[in-house]
Amino acid sequence: MPLFVAGLNHRNAPVELREQLAVEEDKLRELLGDVAATGAVREAVVLSTCNRVEVYGAADVPGEARAVAFRHLCRYRGVDPATVEPLLYTHLEADAVRHAFRVAASLDSMMIGEPQILGQVKDAFALAQACETVGPALHTLFTQAFAVAKKVRTETEIALHAVSVSFAAVELAKKIFAGLTGRAVLLVGAGKMGELAARHLVEQGAFPIYVANRTWARAQEMARALAGVPVPFDDLEATLPGADIVITSTGAPEPVITRALVERALHGRGRPLFFIDIAVPRNVEPGVNALDGVYRYDIDDLRQVVDANLRERLREAQRAEALVEREVGRFVARLGDVEVIPTIVSLRERLEEIRTAEVKKALARLPGASPETRETVEALSAAIVNKILHTPITKLRESSRAGASRSWLDLVHELFGLGRPR
Amino acid sequence: MHATFLNLAVVGYVAATGLALAYLVQREEWLHRFAAVATAAGWVAHTIALVALGHELRRPPLASLPEAVSVAVWVLVLLEMWVGRRGRLRVLGAFVLPVVLVFSLKSSAARPGLELGPALSGAWLWVHIGLALIGVAAFALNFAGALMYLLQERQLKARRPGALYYRLPDLDTLDRLTYRTLAAGFPFLTTGLILGVLWAGTAWGSVFAFDPLALLSWVAWVIYAGTLAGRAAAGWHGRRAAYFSIVGFAALVLTLGAGLFLPGRHGS
Repeated sequence: MPLFVAGLNHRNAPVELREQLAVEEDKLRELLGDVAATGAVREAVVLSTCNRVEVYGAADVPGEARAVAFRHLCRYRGVDPATVEPLLYTHLEADAVRHAFRVAASLDSMMIGEPQILGQVKDAFALAQACETVGPALHTLFTQAFAVAKKVRTETEIALHAVSVSFAAVELAKKIFAGLTGRAVLLVGAGKMGELAARHLVEQGAFPIYVANRTWARAQEMARALAGVPVPFDDLEATLPGADIVITSTGAPEPVITRALVERALHGRGRPLFFIDIAVPRNVEPGVNALDGVYRYDIDDLRQVVDANLRERLREAQRAEALVEREVGRFVARLGDVEVIPTIVSLRERLEEIRTAEVKKALARLPGASPETRETVEALSAAIVNKILHTPITKLRESSRAGASRSWLDLVHELFGLGRPR
Repeated sequence: MHATFLNLAVVGYVAATGLALAYLVQREEWLHRFAAVATAAGWVAHTIALVALGHELRRPPLASLPEAVSVAVWVLVLLEMWVGRRGRLRVLGAFVLPVVLVFSLKSSAARPGLELGPALSGAWLWVHIGLALIGVAAFALNFAGALMYLLQERQLKARRPGALYYRLPDLDTLDRLTYRTLAAGFPFLTTGLILGVLWAGTAWGSVFAFDPLALLSWVAWVIYAGTLAGRAAAGWHGRRAAYFSIVGFAALVLTLGAGLFLPGRHGS
């Protein structure tokens, strides 16, 4: 029974349409129930996020299942199915497996490596389970998709490097200092982004936090919010030597931190000093970067770092794709086995039935047979059955891996009188 | 037998170097694992080669410079494996193994001489050579640490992260590595050199007998002494300390090169 995925995503459908089709949990339950009731699908999971609306399913006729599912969806949302239909993509079997793995591993996301999608897939799966529309096929598919997603996350750096300016600053700090625990932060000015960067540093263990502001009340307020110490703006020079990381985000038209100031702060100092200058115009004199042990990044530098991080993610995504491809191969091979297993089981049962019946008859004609003789007859018959079954079973497994199990299954069912295959 | 195992060791080091360098640009787990296995295998073969050689010669395989360099490489590989594992410095191999390779190729190309001059005897001689060699191995690590520091520092200063920015650890860790290897190697080199002078006084008749290796090794010593003093007393750190480490190691390489290629009493 073919696996399929049908839907649309951020690449092929405009945001207006995705908005219209996005459904909340209650409607999703209803949809799953209605679609299952039509009998067009045997199993179904619906994934609805702001970037994609997709139906994962197992159905005899995937095209029909897809049409039914999206007709229902369009009816709920008052959308004309004719506008949706041409946008839908459909993946079958191995392609469906690949799609599921890539989505869960965040390779199909708008921001590659973003972590939310896995949780959304898990929620969609849990909801379908609650609605009892998950059977063995989707169960294996999704459990494996979660495992693959985890593997991608641990074995590649697809989600490792920061893609926001404030996190990029934290990562830079970690390349300068061995851990941020106990590093003193000086926050100058009250910009939102500066506060955000400071907050990230605090989360990583940075301590203490000094907050300087031209308005004393504002300094006190920010210091309270960050569990820091307010510092009068005129004491900047006295505070600077004790700081490891300085974040500036004031609206001052002239540099607040001059090269001369930093040179004095460096006197007799054995540690690096890291300036994160988020302000425009810049608050820290650019020449400061030339001083030994001083690193000064302005907003443009941080954006460059973010760009480099994005390129690094894309590089890692290549490796992740290769990993997913291997997993798809493995999964499809196993899936094939799943398809022929019922036949193998009934084949064995059929021959075992014949064997026990015949052994029983034979032993009835040998009333004086010793236990050894009985055992020998049992073993002999079992050995013959196993020998006969060996080649057909191997052939069946092979055929399923080659993707040609259908004709073989029919043939075996026909030859041994097993009834119609599923 | 030692020649066969020495060749095996070189093969292991060549493979390890290639894999470690590949790991630097392509972060595949298996590259790192195989590099570690190749390093360990090379080191085991190297150990067997040295034991076999010592057994053959009935003395420590330290009398000629090629022998001694081979032992220094052996110590260096051991240190690399230990420091890399303990400090979780996975890229260390890429910076240390090329050094290992250059010296192991050199020392295996020059086959160790078998006869032992009359001057070369006495336990102090072995101690002199052994201590100096441990010092040299520590300074090779010191060099690798300094090189990594300078590369990472340059990336951070330039504010344009390249591939190495992601691979190399933070500056603090690298600075600590250079400081520690310097502090650890220096006493070994110092004691080794002093013993050498004392020994030269009794064996060659003069403490100042002209020998290029002996003279150059004091040059290297002075550079390291200066760096250590600068770090400990004047609070040097980071870039300046790293430059000195590189210059010091260059002097040390020159020293060993002089011993291998210039006529002198160490080259026997």
